[in-house]
Amino acid sequence: MAIEYDVVGVTLLSLYVSGCATLLGSAIGIPLGALIGLREFGGKGLIKTITYTMYGFPPVISGLVVYFLFSRAGPLGSFGILFTPTAMIIAETLLVIPLTTGITITSVSEVDKSIKDTVRALGATPRQSVLTVMREAWVGLVMAAMIGFGRCIAEVGAAYMVGGNIKGETVVLTTAIMTETRQGEFGYAIGLGVVLILVAMAVFLFLRLLQEKEML
Amino acid sequence: MAISVAVVAILAVSAVGVYLMSQGEQPATLRMATTTSTWDSGLLSFILPVFENESNCKVQVVAVGSGQAMELGKNGDVDILMIHSPAAEVQFVNDGYGTNRTQLMYNWFVIVGTNGDPAGTRNATNSTDAFQRIYDNGTVGNAVFVSRADNSGTHSKELTIWAKLGYNKTEVAAFDSDWYKQSGQGMGAVLDMCEEMDAYTLSDDATYYSKVDLDLVPHLNITLGGDSALKNQYSVILVNASKWSHINATIAKDFLTWITSQDGQDLIKSYEKYGHQLFVPNAPGYSSTLSLQRVWTSALLTDMAVSCSKTRFVLGTELQRCAC
Amino acid sequence: MSAAIDLKGVTKQFNDVTAVKDVDVSIAHGEIFGILGPSGSGKSTLLRIIDFLETPDTGKLFFDGVEICAGTVAAGKKMREIGMVLQKPVVLNRSVANNLAYSLFIRGWDEKKIDARVDKELRRCGLSDRRRKNARTLSGGEMQRLSFARSTVYGPKILLLDEFAANLDPRNVGLLEEQIRRYSSEDPSRTVVIVTHNIFQAKRLCTRLALMWDGEIVEISDKNAFFENPRDPRSSAFVKGDLVY
Repeated sequence: MAIEYDVVGVTLLSLYVSGCATLLGSAIGIPLGALIGLREFGGKGLIKTITYTMYGFPPVISGLVVYFLFSRAGPLGSFGILFTPTAMIIAETLLVIPLTTGITITSVSEVDKSIKDTVRALGATPRQSVLTVMREAWVGLVMAAMIGFGRCIAEVGAAYMVGGNIKGETVVLTTAIMTETRQGEFGYAIGLGVVLILVAMAVFLFLRLLQEKEML
Repeated sequence: MAISVAVVAILAVSAVGVYLMSQGEQPATLRMATTTSTWDSGLLSFILPVFENESNCKVQVVAVGSGQAMELGKNGDVDILMIHSPAAEVQFVNDGYGTNRTQLMYNWFVIVGTNGDPAGTRNATNSTDAFQRIYDNGTVGNAVFVSRADNSGTHSKELTIWAKLGYNKTEVAAFDSDWYKQSGQGMGAVLDMCEEMDAYTLSDDATYYSKVDLDLVPHLNITLGGDSALKNQYSVILVNASKWSHINATIAKDFLTWITSQDGQDLIKSYEKYGHQLFVPNAPGYSSTLSLQRVWTSALLTDMAVSCSKTRFVLGTELQRCAC
Repeated sequence: MSAAIDLKGVTKQFNDVTAVKDVDVSIAHGEIFGILGPSGSGKSTLLRIIDFLETPDTGKLFFDGVEICAGTVAAGKKMREIGMVLQKPVVLNRSVANNLAYSLFIRGWDEKKIDARVDKELRRCGLSDRRRKNARTLSGGEMQRLSFARSTVYGPKILLLDEFAANLDPRNVGLLEEQIRRYSSEDPSRTVVIVTHNIFQAKRLCTRLALMWDGEIVEISDKNAFFENPRDPRSSAFVKGDLVY
């Protein structure tokens, strides 16, 4: 008999944690990616390689890093963030930032050079140029956010480690699935998985609408 | 346009967050680390609400492996531990990380194997003998054993039995992987592996019963149980409050007092799952007014003529095994 | 009055290829100056240098007698006074009206003023009925008319056109040539520089012509002189249509 979960509460928490991490990760990664992609500077190639390599960053390591930072024995322990949704958000944001940055770099780089030239020729300041090119790469930028969200909603290792899967506090869909599977309740686990996919689908639909709408 | 969308998104997420945060306002919180098998047994979900009601506080439980639970205790990330790894616990207290280590309850480890029982563990005199038989058969390719190999309480118990046969930890880790499988996984996963591989393992009874309850291990049986060496002793340890100022030492102490009291212990005793009482309370000073009767049966009787073993406890101290 | 545009000793090299070799040219206000030559002769590069999209390896640029160096704040300011139309029509992925509004938006124009001006321009280039459509759905000719409108709506003193008519149908070419003439005559201080390899177009539009060959300017003459009495043998070959390119 599975330990009962408040499925609504767990789903809301999943959305909250993943939503925050995606927003934060996008707010940091997208501008960063645009700057890296559109500016020439020494070491640009190296930075890009590192960013892409971090796509494969093991999430459990992110969890460990956040644990060491926010453990009571660690440097930021006095904030008492461990085993709260905030810690989960931080761990997931760390995982999302390379994704949003890298995908943005690629998207803005792919904007045709003639557009970049035209924008400059029309008299846009460097700042205006960057913003305009970002808008031209809008489809790619929303994609970056989507992939970031997908990463978060599916995250389990780091979420369990820094969240603790505490009933009523830090249980999210993925950690609940893990627990149910561990206890052999495969049916329940799959059910939660279906909920996760449906929720993710709703979010992606919304983001897709966002992608299309901007073209005016 | 993008900005307004971003604003809406942030507001929506914040609203959800505020709603969730408002759900969790409680006067005081006790944070406990325990093992996944303890949590999965459902005992804590059964007894904690009683404590929370009486003491008007909230208990947060983090369920991880034994090793990780002790790390959390060492780092002051939890207030109290409920684990079952006696050797490591003693070390933990001696190193100054914990205080008031108190015996709490026990359940049983069992040796689980397939109906065919190629190593003949059913006829073993005790767990040590059973392991010897597994070793003898394993090394000639007649049997397979799956180990937790993850420094859990179960793994520690397994190692103590090998130690009695003269194999230390390093030697055990060096057993031939043809017959000794070091999985590094949890108990549920290991039982699944045994089901698939026709292998033996040492399991806690609760996890085994949960698998039986879901009909996930039709080919597995308990082949040996009730040996006092297979007792799985649980303790509660308070994280050393003098090391950390933020530890909720008072509530932790209250919990310890409560769970080792007659009421708390009786509550543990009353917890049943899969038709069994899963845990036997044995805090110091606890005595049951009724004699404990615990009847063991093989979980699955097959068509083959298999001897069943019955074990009877009297007051939880003596065991007698009789063949039927 | 100083020349609108003055290039002295401008050279630009890309890897092993010298696109522009030691070019000296002076373009006055009010002119429609044509740069003729075969493809690969460096005409586009020269135009890009004038618009500060490329930085010359050597040489200086003067605008109204004032030297401006690429990459400086002054260059950024000057770019805002120059309009450029490329060969390939370039539109932003937004509506026709917003494309046009972009030039004014980045100059901080008031929204109402932008709307009024955009309306007027759209009517002028005949794209009013398309104003809400995504600019990418326009035909090539329509896109180029839009590009032209977008590059002139802020009234740049200097207008550069780089083979704007390539890939266009005659009707749209005619429309645009008319626009260019009108743009030039509206304000005598405006300067237009057209890069083309179409001698007929050059004859129709330009007041003065230069022939560029292999990165060098080999002849600069008034239009009539260029066609009737070219000094350089390559110019006469070009005019006669004998040059293969």
